[in-house]
Amino acid sequence: MAKRKSIIKIKPRRYKVGDIVKVDFIVIHPMETGMRKDKKTGKIKPMHYINEVKFYFNDELFTTILPWETVSTNPYFSINMKVTGPGVIKVVYKDNLGEVHEKSKKVKPKG
Amino acid sequence: MERRSFIKGLGALPAIGLLGAGSVNLLAKEKKAPKGKNAISFKKALAVVTDGKGAKESAKVKLIVPEIAENGAVVPVKISVDEPIENVKSIHILTTKNSNARCADVFLSPRNGRAYFATRIKLGGTQEVVAVAVLKNGTAIMAKKSVKVTIGGCG
Repeated sequence: MAKRKSIIKIKPRRYKVGDIVKVDFIVIHPMETGMRKDKKTGKIKPMHYINEVKFYFNDELFTTILPWETVSTNPYFSINMKVTGPGVIKVVYKDNLGEVHEKSKKVKPKG
Repeated sequence: MERRSFIKGLGALPAIGLLGAGSVNLLAKEKKAPKGKNAISFKKALAVVTDGKGAKESAKVKLIVPEIAENGAVVPVKISVDEPIENVKSIHILTTKNSNARCADVFLSPRNGRAYFATRIKLGGTQEVVAVAVLKNGTAIMAKKSVKVTIGGCG
């Protein structure tokens, strides 16, 4: 399984319990549409895209995104989340070739 | 005379050749764009998303896209819905002319706090981007905006 780089960002950086924060998620992924030709070999590159992204907070599913191949290369997804206390955000993402990866980030509200 | 006509003929030959090549190019362009495995038209996609009921245009859905996109491969899209989060079930991004009209389906829950979603999409040409929000009571509201694309991003 190929390694994938991904990043989770919480904005703004300082937040309190009860705030609504922005959760940004970015993956390094080719998101191939299945319509492009390889310039060297002339063959059509097979379709390869992320088709499921799930956001968990303390193992409780709160958002599901189903992207298609029409999302840009190195996709970026941004959603909102209400902070109810300290915990862990876990993002599990799958693609159409069966790769499954996950990434997590701690939530530490201040004040 | 023979020599003269021969030279004239020489001049005409390349012109015919050029014309021939041009018409072949035109024919190649008229071929339909290749369709991917997930190809679906906008009408069908809208019917799938809203369970065949269709969507009403509403000012409650706010869609932020650039009017002119220089690069169709990366078009930022921001959607927010002016409804309490308990009422919003899902948000969908559709396009009118991409071979696959669907871009992303987002299913929300009360923990989100606010109905908001942002991403970046590919556009194959100048077309409309449509944001559909499906509410808890089954009705759907939408907003659309046209985006001018100078360089296509699909294929």
